Amino acid sequence: MTSPQETAPAAEGAERQEDPTYGDIIWGQFVKRTMAIASLWGLVAMLLLAIYTPLLASNKPFVWHTVTDGWSSPWLTSLFDRNFYENSVDIFFNTALVMGTLSIGPLMWWWKRTAPLKRRERSAKRTRGVQVVLAVFILAFVGIETFPHQAPKKVYPRIEAQLLEKGEDVTAVYAPLPYSFRDGSLTEVREPISMAHPLGTDNAGRDVLTRLVYGTRISLTVGVFAVALYVTFGTFIGAIAGFYGGRIDMAIQRVIEVVICIPSLFLILTVASFIEERSIFHIMVIIAAVAWTSPARLVRAEFLRMRNLDFVSAARAVGYRERRIIFQEILPNALAPVLVAATFGVARAILIESTMSFLGLGDITVPSWGQILNTGRTTGIWTLILAPGFAIFVTVSLLNLVGEGVRDALDPKLRK
Amino acid sequence: MLQYTIKRLLLTIPTFFFISLLLFFVLNIAPGRPGASGGGQQGESQNQEQKESYRIFKEQFNLDKPILLNTRFALEQDEVRELLVAAYNMNGDATAAERITAQDNLEDYGNYLVRHLVPLLDDTDAQIRQASANTLTVASQLRFISERRGDVKAARTQNRDISKRNQAVKLWRWDTDAPQAEQAELTEKWKAWYVENEATYTYTTEESATNLFLDTRFAKYWSNLVHLDFGVSTADRRPVFETVLSKLKYSLSLTFTSVLLAYAIAVPLGVFSAIRQGTKLDAAVTMVLFIMYSLPTFFTGTVLLRLLTEGEPVSWFPTGDFQTMTSDPMTTWARTKDILWHLVLPIATYTSVSLATLSRYARAGVIEVIRADYIRTARAKGLSEPVVIIKHAVRNGMIPILTLLGGLLPALVAGSVVIEVVFNIPGMGQYIYQAINLRDYNAVMAVLLTSSFLALIGILISDLSYALVDPRISFD
Repeated sequence: MTSPQETAPAAEGAERQEDPTYGDIIWGQFVKRTMAIASLWGLVAMLLLAIYTPLLASNKPFVWHTVTDGWSSPWLTSLFDRNFYENSVDIFFNTALVMGTLSIGPLMWWWKRTAPLKRRERSAKRTRGVQVVLAVFILAFVGIETFPHQAPKKVYPRIEAQLLEKGEDVTAVYAPLPYSFRDGSLTEVREPISMAHPLGTDNAGRDVLTRLVYGTRISLTVGVFAVALYVTFGTFIGAIAGFYGGRIDMAIQRVIEVVICIPSLFLILTVASFIEERSIFHIMVIIAAVAWTSPARLVRAEFLRMRNLDFVSAARAVGYRERRIIFQEILPNALAPVLVAATFGVARAILIESTMSFLGLGDITVPSWGQILNTGRTTGIWTLILAPGFAIFVTVSLLNLVGEGVRDALDPKLRK
Repeated sequence: MLQYTIKRLLLTIPTFFFISLLLFFVLNIAPGRPGASGGGQQGESQNQEQKESYRIFKEQFNLDKPILLNTRFALEQDEVRELLVAAYNMNGDATAAERITAQDNLEDYGNYLVRHLVPLLDDTDAQIRQASANTLTVASQLRFISERRGDVKAARTQNRDISKRNQAVKLWRWDTDAPQAEQAELTEKWKAWYVENEATYTYTTEESATNLFLDTRFAKYWSNLVHLDFGVSTADRRPVFETVLSKLKYSLSLTFTSVLLAYAIAVPLGVFSAIRQGTKLDAAVTMVLFIMYSLPTFFTGTVLLRLLTEGEPVSWFPTGDFQTMTSDPMTTWARTKDILWHLVLPIATYTSVSLATLSRYARAGVIEVIRADYIRTARAKGLSEPVVIIKHAVRNGMIPILTLLGGLLPALVAGSVVIEVVFNIPGMGQYIYQAINLRDYNAVMAVLLTSSFLALIGILISDLSYALVDPRISFD
């Protein structure tokens, strides 16, 4: 999918006379579908929410000042603190928070600078720019993961209360929700909805809204990465099967048949139960291991259809190597159905993950929506049932709407 | 068509074999020791009795066998000696983990060890001599043959004989401080015994070749499988296949009713929506169905349960379960009413999901055909609108949704883990969920295999029904 910036010049194309690319056409079709484009913006908003979660909920103060400690910002240092954010997913999003905020400026500058160039050159340069930012991001994330920073555990609201009791001078500025998603306060168990706790607290005294917004990170990560994993693998397998045909195709077809016949949820739950300390990375891999067959079948069908077309014969005649024909000539033309399947796949992966957590076979250390809902089921607290259920529903709906939009946009019969 | 059917049917056999191979492999690489008492810990803390009972347990479930290939006939004497050294920590440098692995290996190798252990009785090291004799008392034990099938009487006589032979050698072991004379005497006894029984414990090339494939967990499992024997549950020691069959009625009564209901509502709804395509009513129906489609089952189920059962706010339906647990005799009618009463909420939950999917298919199917030329022709002929819709459009538009039924078969039988767990219905879904948590692998395997088999059949039916209802598709 192309970004909106790339279609903008198409509108002012009168002076530059650029033909719209396939991406432009699809994007143009997609924008015409109100529900789809609105849902896409909804998803972007969710992604931003996931990235900027610590701005909304954290029990580390942005600004902290006492006579003995002096001025400091525990919030900033806690972003990469392994004792506070135990999970790599949180570290990943926190890195995105810092890096994303820092790279907006340079990217905008780069966009403006490359605007007057011809399309081919411009998109190449812009792609290069995005690649540089991504590379720096990945390097930063890997660096932080390899050399984890661990600070002593401090519960600032409690320290503040103690100091105030002693009559000391304390300045502390907190996020709107000054709670941790992991540690609750046992004096505030099962609180109803109030100003301090907009969705109340659960049976361990943890703020429900805080857990809910941190759960966004988990769901999005599982959805996107599991799908990325299995779409990559499935596409590769499907391409090989469809391109070579014959015995290779036969063998791959049999394997796919075997995997399809096994009820996926049963298998997923069984395999999940083997892993003693399940992390959400295990869950992504398990989901991917079961779901790769659908992109494989789609890509295989496209390859079977296309491998005897003229442009492939031409590529062969020119003497391109097989690898180039598969990945650079045919594959880009075979990706449309995969794109649709992937969008719906993200919704499905999120549902599978929350089902696993709901059944107690997910990652128990993270505030996954399914797990919150399960707590709601066993304790009967209404907000614990409705809030995560609504969150899952909204996310899945948005993804399904975007998926439908992409599907319709790709369908030439439904052009508006 | 017939040829194609036969070809497909034949293909299901290797496919099923590979499914079972894959599942078997997956389940056997699972860590943790099923049924090991005391959380799977083993070592010196465990006493002899516990060890012995776990060994018998392992034999019962073939857990002492290698998974796919048995290469134990190729054991070397040096390897056995090393194992003994490690298992009894003779060099004093083996870690606890190494010791336990070596002990486990010695236990698992069983009969294959005997021909190496007897020569080791003459080893120069006294410790090795003792260890060999002590290991021999376990390794020489022959396995009982199954009395579940075939000639039970002959099997029993044979087992009595095996038991006698096992008992004879069971106590031919000595303690560290046993006098030299006693040790020598026992060694002689072992040697005499081995001369007598050598044929049992040595393997010809032929035997080795068959053992390579057949003396494995997978082969044993399959030989049982062809007799529909899925083994017994490690949790309650009852045959799992019987339990699975007894669970079917619960799952089926839930899923079958739901799917019938879903079809009954979905088809008219989809058709209605399709012929009014673009109107506000269509938009509303599509919207509602979309919401139902995106609502996760566990959420719908939990909300319904919380809302309508516990008296907050209302208590119209029972809190889960399949039926009221009473010992009072009930008339068939009362029992049916009671079950239906319990099933209202689960059925509503199950239906809401399948309904949404089905009517979307139905709508899409009718929309696809309604613009076709033959519909225009039908209208041009002057047929009335209902006839055009029902006879021409709906019949053809229903092809995709009919063929979907084949694909639903496995889901019908497997039930739904989530709904059965939420509403506490003792069907297949809940059974596999409990079995997973108890690490009852025979039960898990049985459920997975049965449902995979049904899925295989379902896919076959769905492929064939395509050709049956749509003359444009032909497999010949």
